[in-house]
Amino acid sequence: MHLLLVGISHRTAPVDVRERLDFQARGVEGALRALAVRPSVHEAVVLSTCNRAEVYAACQTPDVARQDIVSFMSEFHGLDRTEVLPHVFESTDLDAARHLFRVASGLDSLVVGEPQILGQVKEAHAAGNAAQTVGPVLNRLFHLSFGAGKRVRTETALGSGAVSVSFAAVALAKKIFGDLKGRTVLVVGAGEMGKLTAQHMRSQGAHRVTIVSRTLARAARIAEAIGGASAAPWEALDASLSASDIVITATGASAPILTKARIERTMRSRLNRPLFIIDIAMPRDVEAAAGDIEQVFLYNIDDLRATVAENLARRASEISRAESIVAEEVDKFGGWLRSRGVIPTVVALRQRFESIRRSELQRLDFKMAALPPEARSRVDEITRLLVEKLLLTPTEQLKALADAESAGQYTEAVTRLFNLQPGSAAAQLDDEAPAAAAAQAGGAEPLSSGNVEAFAPKARGSR
Amino acid sequence: MNTVPLVLYAVALVAYLWHFARRQPTVGRTATTLLVAAVLGHTFVVGMQTMEAGHVPVTDASSAISTFVWLLALSYLYIEMTTDERAMGAFILPLLVLLQLIPALDPGVEDRAEVLQGPLFGLHVSSLLFAYASFALACVIGITYVLLFKEIKAKHLGFFYARLPSLQVLDTMNQRAIVFGWIFLTVGMVVGTIWASQARAYAAADPRVQAMSLQDPKIFVAIVCWAVYSFEAFAARRLGWGGRRAAYLSALGFAIVLLNFVPISYFLTTSHDF
Repeated sequence: MHLLLVGISHRTAPVDVRERLDFQARGVEGALRALAVRPSVHEAVVLSTCNRAEVYAACQTPDVARQDIVSFMSEFHGLDRTEVLPHVFESTDLDAARHLFRVASGLDSLVVGEPQILGQVKEAHAAGNAAQTVGPVLNRLFHLSFGAGKRVRTETALGSGAVSVSFAAVALAKKIFGDLKGRTVLVVGAGEMGKLTAQHMRSQGAHRVTIVSRTLARAARIAEAIGGASAAPWEALDASLSASDIVITATGASAPILTKARIERTMRSRLNRPLFIIDIAMPRDVEAAAGDIEQVFLYNIDDLRATVAENLARRASEISRAESIVAEEVDKFGGWLRSRGVIPTVVALRQRFESIRRSELQRLDFKMAALPPEARSRVDEITRLLVEKLLLTPTEQLKALADAESAGQYTEAVTRLFNLQPGSAAAQLDDEAPAAAAAQAGGAEPLSSGNVEAFAPKARGSR
Repeated sequence: MNTVPLVLYAVALVAYLWHFARRQPTVGRTATTLLVAAVLGHTFVVGMQTMEAGHVPVTDASSAISTFVWLLALSYLYIEMTTDERAMGAFILPLLVLLQLIPALDPGVEDRAEVLQGPLFGLHVSSLLFAYASFALACVIGITYVLLFKEIKAKHLGFFYARLPSLQVLDTMNQRAIVFGWIFLTVGMVVGTIWASQARAYAAADPRVQAMSLQDPKIFVAIVCWAVYSFEAFAARRLGWGGRRAAYLSALGFAIVLLNFVPISYFLTTSHDF
């Protein structure tokens, strides 16, 4: 069984292509059901965000499945194959796993370390569960990806620090005032930047927003756009200033509006309660010396940009630590995948032994006819245990084989030595429905793929 | 006997510092567990001394310090568990370790003179120890406030910015600790005055009782302390002395408390010479 990833992301496709391939808009579960009817795809999960549309699939033959997934993507969105194909990237097995783990940790995001993506990966897995397109391979893969994402978040600083100017302003305000609830925000000037920052503060719980502008009508218009804000005339600037905790200045004035002396005056009337001034105007609206006043925290747009740059640099310095966590988790998945690779051989081996046991018992049946039923069942039991114990060590050794190459050599050797046909067993295993596997193996066969996992522990227990 | 809690506090200190630097959640939980173990051990020590002496061990300077450390550790644990904020531990624990060194190195002699009995004396000492523990917390919170304040003011958002709670939270915690401490300080001093006037009646010959006056350094410094904290608790913010100035005041106040608690108790006072 192979793992296959086919998709587009912000690295391979421009935004208009990503928009047209957005699964979210058309329903991920419907997409999964449409994908599940294709026989080449055994398991599937669709991860669709505004930055990526990726299909993770477990399949027998990646070449066929790849074609199927690309045509599914174009057909589902009503596009031509040639429109989609140039933007598609793909990877298989451990590379695909590494990609998902990097995505879940925020390493592949547009803004490295952004926190939403892990939730989106979880939703994608949940949608796959709901549409019943998730089987053992993708289940294992996605659970490991949650673990990788969580580890990167807790063990590195990849997601720390605000990485946009307005987030940085809000983060600072929170570090000064704790909660923004009950805080009053004053916006001086009726520009777009001031409006955006005020909106952000408001969405973070700021209690009241007041807009002061030279023309009251413009201030009122901005206040309305923000929602729940009020406008005040220019003359009321000093009064508004002493009633506010956070001041955002964004006027087009050529000389500073808030001089140090003016702010000192208001600080007296507000009993030196802390005042956070964000000056996003160019040229500046607030005299730089005002930052020297006790309890005044003055940040201009360059200061905020500098903190953003610092945060980005800190995130970048954490990338290598995050990558090594991802690599560890990929190793875990690889180990699991390899141990699954030997299972068809193990199953075939067990079937071979079991059939020998049965035929020998049958051959001796007439000799045992004289025995009481308890003794006969005892013989049956003893032979079964004997087979189990003989197979225990080879089974464990095969499953523990660390690298793909030696696993291949050993399975090859075992197949030859015992003249096995593991192909049919593999088909049973990779089928998602154990019932179908059992039917194929024949009801009389006690060692079908369904109980192969349970076999070893039981034998160990009887030792 | 006080060495066991000392060692445990020291181990917990290492864990708190490690957690403060690296911010790994498991280290943080380990740090708290270690501190709880230290406090339990210390509770046992204080309990044993109480059993032995028949009263809370507060009648000589060393055991009073030990009891104080125990109260401070308990108060800190309370704050940590109610706010889920471990950053302060890296600042409180050094204080605990330093102070606990004194009783560990110099066990002191329990002096249970006739004059030091009665409920008023116990109330006097335990209120003051509570007050000192609160002031110690206020001081540490004040120091962290100043550290964070400087980072934000200097527009260099680094180490403390990432680790400490907001200025507002620190300021509120500081104010609460100051008011709480002030109440106990006042109660302790009033009770002490009442006790001293009663003691004059029945133990007039004791030189310590004779020395109970405003000229005694311990009593004088306590009154200075009370004045500083009264100002901080009730007047400072109304005069616009919130934030950093209040933080400096709590550090100053606690410096005076420590001065009164350790060197003056050991070397200078005649009235509180136990």
